[in-house]
Amino acid sequence: MNFDLTPEQQHIRAEVRRFAEQEIAPRARHVDETGEFPAETFRKMANLGLLGLPFPEAYGGAGADSVSAAIAIEEVARACGSTALIYSAHLGLGCAPIAMFGTEEQKQRFLRPAAEGRHLGAFALTEPHAGSDAGATRTTARLENGHWVINGAKMWITSASVAGHLIVTAVTDPGERHAISAIIVPAGTPGLSFGKPEAKMGLRGSVTNAVTFEDVRVPEENLLGRRGRGLQQFLAVLDGGRVGIAAMAIGLAQAAYETASAYARERTAFGKLIGAYESVSNMIADMAVGLEAARLLLYQAAWLKDQGRQYSREAAIAKLYASEVGEKTCRDAIQILGGYGYSSEYPLERIYRDQRLLTIGEGTSEILRVVIGRQVLGEFVGR
Amino acid sequence: MHIVVCMKQVPRDNSVKINADLTINADGIEQIMNLFDEYAVEEALQWNEKLGGKVTVLSIGPDDWKEQVRRALAMGATDSLLLSDPAFAALDVLGAARVAAAAIKKLGDVDLVLCGRNSTDDESAAFAPALARLLGWPQLTYVGKIPALEAGKIVAERHLEEVIETVEASLPAVASVIKGINEPRYPSLLRIRKVAKVEIPAWSAADLGLTSADLAPVLNLAGRVPPPPRPKGEMIDGASAAEKAARLVDKLMEAQVI
Ligand SMILES: Cc1cc2nc3c(=O)[nH]c(=O)nc-3n(C[C@H](O)[C@H](O)[C@H](O)COP(=O)(O)OP(=O)(O)OC[C@H]3O[C@@H](n4cnc5c(N)ncnc54)[C@H](O)[C@@H]3O)c2cc1C
Repeated sequence: MNFDLTPEQQHIRAEVRRFAEQEIAPRARHVDETGEFPAETFRKMANLGLLGLPFPEAYGGAGADSVSAAIAIEEVARACGSTALIYSAHLGLGCAPIAMFGTEEQKQRFLRPAAEGRHLGAFALTEPHAGSDAGATRTTARLENGHWVINGAKMWITSASVAGHLIVTAVTDPGERHAISAIIVPAGTPGLSFGKPEAKMGLRGSVTNAVTFEDVRVPEENLLGRRGRGLQQFLAVLDGGRVGIAAMAIGLAQAAYETASAYARERTAFGKLIGAYESVSNMIADMAVGLEAARLLLYQAAWLKDQGRQYSREAAIAKLYASEVGEKTCRDAIQILGGYGYSSEYPLERIYRDQRLLTIGEGTSEILRVVIGRQVLGEFVGR
Repeated sequence: MHIVVCMKQVPRDNSVKINADLTINADGIEQIMNLFDEYAVEEALQWNEKLGGKVTVLSIGPDDWKEQVRRALAMGATDSLLLSDPAFAALDVLGAARVAAAAIKKLGDVDLVLCGRNSTDDESAAFAPALARLLGWPQLTYVGKIPALEAGKIVAERHLEEVIETVEASLPAVASVIKGINEPRYPSLLRIRKVAKVEIPAWSAADLGLTSADLAPVLNLAGRVPPPPRPKGEMIDGASAAEKAARLVDKLMEAQVI
């Protein structure tokens, strides 16, 4: 048993933290207030090699392990939630499916430029009528003269309108048991259009769009992975995505925790530091416990992934716990800062709003409890 | 062209304590590459990209300084050298320059040594001049730009308080650079991975032929206090931006800043 990060993982943490503090954190407020896509930041992240961190060098990546990627997302989130969501979705949803299921040609054509940071990737699964219940997908793709012709509508797609490619799930074999497939659609393909950026509670620098497909035609070879296996593949992709969301939750919570701890050591009330009151120090202690536990769950899930072992259950547990404890941490941090916590002049309310998505995206807490409950009790749970 | 960069590891901030024996206690403070040395590394890398050859990053310090040496390698330095010996623990600036000079002589083929203008911990700014003197090479301090570097010759702008002086020197030479000479790059994460396990060669006092007499401090430290914490800023309140600006102007005039 060994709980230490490797020297390589430690170096990656130190460098990403430094970069995030210098280049990302100073823009976090601006990004939230304006909803502007942080394009300049992403150019710099590309130079650093962040945008392809866990992918093989042969495809433009830095060849790091999943633990390092989790650490990088954590450090980016500690500086800015919006940037972290764009980053995490790019790695986990936009690129990972191609790395996992793509052909050599697809990897060269789509993964390489994305990993090198020349474009972002996006993943379009959710539909207006199919969120948690992804099997209810209505978007269709029919094969016609060597081309997939895609029709339908997607909803809530992170970075859709700024991405260089979209991976879309669609029904290719209606009526079959395995009906859904994944297809890669390059940006700019005729028939592809985007709704205006959704107005959101938080993560406002990350654009989220509805996407419409009207007779969108892509070559047959853009099928990603096996025909009819879109749902199974997507479940495997989500395991990785959940590790990313857990990392993001921990990074945001870490920022809240640091702010609250510093404040508890500075602010006085009734002649004492507020940290001297047990109700305050208990909140800080609970935050420390939550963060520590969430990190162990996160690194365990990422480590299992790196070992090539099953990690679905651990990813679900890490995501569920980190997102819920992260939310509580932000809530308590605001409590400790009192009025200043509630003020938009300070970062906590932004972090709280940003954190709020994380019990919803990539598997709601309720769905994750069903997943975990089934593993414990059996398949009858939730049926 | 073989460029050597002298690099020091320093505490990230100055919230240090002073031990009873007047040494600095930076326990618990993150260690980073000295700010000015980062510019020196970047300058060396940029010239290396144009001219080829080698960039050796050299540091005098204990084993854990390898972290920052590694960072310089990840930025792109081609070679590294740690000068490490228990006898180097209490070097003063002249002693440190002697150690570096011995190593540079031993390397033999060095064309240019780049240093930061000073370290952010000791702030003596005497290392580069002492090193140049010991090597018997020209010294160019406060360099804010290197317009030309070629076989046998360097042209440098010295950014002094009131003037910019353009000087030319023959190589080999020692130059110390200031902040702003370039924009240091972040090391790529791919290179960070690649250098994580690189062996960093280490030379001891014996390897350099240095005796305790060479290393004995000539400076006598009479006292040392930690720098005062930065005073808290003052927030200026006002109903409107114009009112705030007017109050700010009053304050600045009171303080005779304007
Ligand atoms: C900012 C943002 C970014 C997003 N980015 C992407 C993206 O890039 N790509 C993408 O494909 N999607 C994305 N999504 C969509 C996201 O994954 C879905 O919102 C999420 O899966 C939930 O689906 P839903 O919103 O349709 O809610 P629903 O599935 O309708 O759920 C509504 C409620 O019912 C509960 N519920 C549903 N089924 C069950 C059940 N069986 N048992 C118990 N409770 C249940 C849920 O937990 C929830 O509380 C994003 C969403 C947001 C808000």
